[in-house]
Amino acid sequence: MSRSSYLGDDTIALHSGYQPESDHGSRAVPVYQTTSYVFDSVDDASALFNVERGGHIYSRITNPTVAVLEQRLAALEGGSGAICTASGMSALFVTFFSLCSAGDHIVSAAQIYGSTVTLLKHTLKRFGIDCTFVPINDPVAVANAIQDNTKLVFCESIGNPGLEVSDLPMIADIAHQHGVPLVVDATFATPYLCKPIQYGADVVVHSVTKWIGGHGVAVGGVVIDGGNFDWLASGRFPTLTEPYAPFHGMNFWEEFGPSALAMRIRCESMRDIGAAMSPHNAFLLLQGIETLNLRMQQHIDNAKKLIAWLQEQDAVAWVNHPDLPHNPSQSAAAQLFPKGAGSMLSFGVKGGREAGAAFIDALQLSSNLANVGDSRTLVLHPGSTTHSRLNEAELLAAGISGDMIRVSVGIESFKDIKADFGNGLRAAAKMADKLAQQA
Amino acid sequence: MYIQVNGQSTFIATGGKTFDTSLPTVVLLHGSGLDHRCWALQARWFAFHGYSVFAPDLPGHSLSQGEPLTSIEDMGAWLVAALDAAGVEQVHLMGHSQGFLMALEAAPLLGSRVESVMALATAAAIPVNPALIDTAKADTSKAADMMLQWGFGSDYQYGLSSVPGMQPIGIGQRIMTNNPLATDLEACNNYSGGAARASSLTCPVQVVLADQDRMTPMREGLKLAQTLGVKAQIINGSGHMLPMEAPQQSLQAMQSFIQTLK
Ligand SMILES: Cc1ncc(COP(=O)(O)O)c(C=O)c1O
Repeated sequence: MSRSSYLGDDTIALHSGYQPESDHGSRAVPVYQTTSYVFDSVDDASALFNVERGGHIYSRITNPTVAVLEQRLAALEGGSGAICTASGMSALFVTFFSLCSAGDHIVSAAQIYGSTVTLLKHTLKRFGIDCTFVPINDPVAVANAIQDNTKLVFCESIGNPGLEVSDLPMIADIAHQHGVPLVVDATFATPYLCKPIQYGADVVVHSVTKWIGGHGVAVGGVVIDGGNFDWLASGRFPTLTEPYAPFHGMNFWEEFGPSALAMRIRCESMRDIGAAMSPHNAFLLLQGIETLNLRMQQHIDNAKKLIAWLQEQDAVAWVNHPDLPHNPSQSAAAQLFPKGAGSMLSFGVKGGREAGAAFIDALQLSSNLANVGDSRTLVLHPGSTTHSRLNEAELLAAGISGDMIRVSVGIESFKDIKADFGNGLRAAAKMADKLAQQA
Repeated sequence: MYIQVNGQSTFIATGGKTFDTSLPTVVLLHGSGLDHRCWALQARWFAFHGYSVFAPDLPGHSLSQGEPLTSIEDMGAWLVAALDAAGVEQVHLMGHSQGFLMALEAAPLLGSRVESVMALATAAAIPVNPALIDTAKADTSKAADMMLQWGFGSDYQYGLSSVPGMQPIGIGQRIMTNNPLATDLEACNNYSGGAARASSLTCPVQVVLADQDRMTPMREGLKLAQTLGVKAQIINGSGHMLPMEAPQQSLQAMQSFIQTLK
């Protein structure tokens, strides 16, 4: 098994990457709110610039507070290293950018976060990088989509917002048979529920904005290098296996091996693109990580109760969650998510779009907003918000229907979530009746 | 660079500079199951400060082809063949753990070509628990975990890293899992000629030890220093994986030793 720490996960979440510093013994991770770092000498400066030694130069590239978060996340996921970025989207961007150049190709799951679809379909295309979208759990479709110029297969471990679980071992096998790595966005899962590297993923990306941060106070992302992919044997990755002129012809694979991708992102993307995480955000996100495992269990417990309760309600047309038997990826969910496949669920209210809107507008505890993974319960109508740029066919391919309400179940007392949803459903039922009378 | 040694493609890390036989050559020898990358934070400094760096992957390790060598004596002879293949004459040998044993065996074969020898986190003999060797034969990954849990000092067990954002345990785990760890460990365990070789070294020598070393305990390293007639330099807060755990202090020890020889 690939690991990078021998501490238990609860201990990693609290301690990994930091020991009380020697100057003041600060028990909490200090916020190094600084742009830059004094060099000991001219020699020291040139050694740092030439990667002859590790250390900090400028906070766009590395920062001590951010580094604690990076090392903690790498330890939690069992990776060889991590790079934190300003957002989940920038984490995805620097990953694709580091592995692909103009003329290259990506195979992606069709059911993924809307902005990631846009990035793959429109933005990267402007730079000559093409993408084929496939039903990710169809092995033939995945294999057939891989071309000579394909650089990676991408999926989300739990797809946003269709809530399809990707069969990671199967997809990893196919990717590896073709000499291509599997990149997994594990935002909806967090390492508490599923560690994709253990199931064959080569790179893991998170929007740490979500459950990992957990409190809805800081936007951030991370790329975790799994460290297991042989970039040289694959023969597809000149960015990692051929000399890189800006660093005296550095060959990242020869120099760093299992952390070649992380180091390439550090040396190129963080320097040239600069989507750096701020030290203060890293500090806030570290406060979140400390209780990640506790919070995730409560998220899961509340989600399970809410699913059971919604299924009994007359006003509810359907409920979807990967753990439910009618979800097509339920067997993958059972294998990969023994604790439960996340705290996102979706459901439809009888009466369609208008009844759905009435439901959302009647809520008080739950917040109608465009985020997931807050400790508070959140609801959203994807068809009119996050996925509004997609046409009908694309919506369908992304697993979205017009009446869908997406719920990110929070960690409040369950009785209060239930009461709030009860109010919403009564308003939805009223609207449904009104619509029926009008018809 | 890649060179042919005994007909096998062999990777030699040169610290990011073109290898130049006219410069003094520092030979960096990795330990059991590892590869040249354990010297990542020393090799570049030497290469960019007037030395040529010769940091091989042993046969069958990481980027080098060939069958793994089964004895320390064979490793010593192989090193001579590798240096000859690259056209290297005079050398400073620096070995971590098993790498030092290999240097001890290469030294008499190289004779006056050896300018100096440096031992890092090692001893004259490295007995290995038979249970670890058996585990390595059955499941390299599991044995690598045992070694890394034992091998890295306490700070690194808490996820510290001298390279921001990286997890050295994770990096070591990937490298060791894919290398012939069992063969290396058996070679170490079977090797008994170290003390005699050490006492017959005539060139300048230095010993650098880690106070938290549990693989080659410091008391064994101190005995080696006694045999060599030198005062060991001790780096506090590091475990056995010294070049990775305390790269800056290791480099400083290496620099100051090599600079006193001028
Ligand atoms: C699965 C997934 N990936 C990536 C992102 C983008 O993350 P961020 O908003 O931190 O840029 C999101 C945001 O909702 C997401 O849900």
